[in-house]
Amino acid sequence: MTPKGSSLMPDSAPFVLDIEDLSVSYGAAEQLAIERIDLSVAKGEFVAIVGPSGCGKSTMLNVLSGLMAPTRGRVDVDGAPLYGAGAKAPHLGYVFQSHRLLPWRTVRQNLELVLSASDVPPDRWDANIDRILDILHIPQFKDTWPMRLSGGQRQRVSIARALLVEPSYILMDEPLSTLDEVTARTMRQELTAIWQRTGSTIIFVTHSIREAVYLADRIIILTRGPASVVDDVRVPIARPRAYEDPQISEVEAGIVERVLDEWGLARTEAEAGA
Amino acid sequence: MAATTAATDRTAQTAEMVHRLQGRHARRVNIAGKVIAIVGLFALWFVLSILVRPWVPTPEATAMAMYRLLGSAAFYGDLGLTLMRVLAAFVAATLVGSILGIAVGLSKRAEAFFQPLLAVGLAVPDPVYIIFAILAVGVGEGAGFVALTIALTPFVSNIVRSSVHARDATLDEMVKVYRIAPWRAFRDSLFPQLIPALVTAARFSFALSWKLVVVVEAIGQPDGIGAAIFQAFNLLRMREMLALAILFIVLMQVLERGVVAQIERRALSWRR
Repeated sequence: MTPKGSSLMPDSAPFVLDIEDLSVSYGAAEQLAIERIDLSVAKGEFVAIVGPSGCGKSTMLNVLSGLMAPTRGRVDVDGAPLYGAGAKAPHLGYVFQSHRLLPWRTVRQNLELVLSASDVPPDRWDANIDRILDILHIPQFKDTWPMRLSGGQRQRVSIARALLVEPSYILMDEPLSTLDEVTARTMRQELTAIWQRTGSTIIFVTHSIREAVYLADRIIILTRGPASVVDDVRVPIARPRAYEDPQISEVEAGIVERVLDEWGLARTEAEAGA
Repeated sequence: MAATTAATDRTAQTAEMVHRLQGRHARRVNIAGKVIAIVGLFALWFVLSILVRPWVPTPEATAMAMYRLLGSAAFYGDLGLTLMRVLAAFVAATLVGSILGIAVGLSKRAEAFFQPLLAVGLAVPDPVYIIFAILAVGVGEGAGFVALTIALTPFVSNIVRSSVHARDATLDEMVKVYRIAPWRAFRDSLFPQLIPALVTAARFSFALSWKLVVVVEAIGQPDGIGAAIFQAFNLLRMREMLALAILFIVLMQVLERGVVAQIERRALSWRR
């Protein structure tokens, strides 16, 4: 995402997602959850959104996924409005915090369900499913029930489902937060590899600044709520990256320093001394 | 390292053995409970047959009457008619109640309209439906069918409606994000979530159907198991009356456990 007029992206970059003056408020009291955000996401970008709990990250994803209409402003996807597009609405991928697979359908049937809503003809479904399961390294689980899979394998299927519809962009809502650290580390590496291989546009929401720095090209930092953009940070680290790379720690420390006051976090003695 | 592995194996074996023993104990308790219940029932029956003679027949006399019935063509004719009536009422009530329950569960407007009617329907005693149906439609097949369908529908509908309300809303979001067609979302996402409730509703509907069919037949039909029981009662043939009731109950239990339980097992095979 690029704030309008930002120099982070070249002017000619084709924007997949264009948000203008976006505001969302809730309930009869019209409590503001998102306040006047102007942002753009270029094709093929890996963008992370970080913000404290309850700042409006999930509301933002709900708006970008078409689940919740904005109170004010515009969301354009590939140059066309996301809301009111009807049958012409773009295909989007969404990797939820929990996998949200249908437990009574096998992996193949779960994937066929999303293909049924795509433009892919049925005679190509099987080949597409095989290809995507190969990319995710889980071809052996094609006819397995989701409850027979581990947490990491289910999340891989969830990512496969998001990639399968050839979406304009993929939204990821803290998809690794429910996994153990070892699995999460493997998944982060694989997510980067999948993104590089498929050239997908990914908008990744996380509360972990380190995870954001490791994965993303750019990090959008939100205010404590109502959400608005505090900063748009480019990650100047070449790939492949290592999770324990000192450069990652350095960028992370810079962001932490930037958000400490903004998010109302207490400084440690070391930080206060520095 | 080898010692640690051996110790881990031993712990796993012990845990498995404890688990197996606990399972065996639970099975034994279950079987013992059933045996005690059946033996107790027979003992009570036997005592009553002595104390309330001749109105309560002895188990042996009842068994003889059952044996005679099983060799009689009239019994099978009555049984066939009753089964047809049970099946018709069961299918109609399950279908209408399920459709209504899904509609009321999904739509606020449908809920606002139907819920008060269903609440009233639940409160009306079943014999009232039977009497009103006979008054409205007359004595015949139609009265029983109408009465049973109206009596059972609110129960089925209520069970299904609760299940629709308790569905996983996150799956609704998933099918919306991926723009799954409504009929496909219903078939693949919503309907499977309702299966346990539908099976419960079917089981409930079936159990009530056969009980009410017998009452309807006793009140307003010249044939069927209910009419035969009522006729035996009028002629003070208590052995025959009890034998008819026991045979019918056993058959209904076999059907319920055999057919409905099989459907449930098959529909929920993904859980195993």
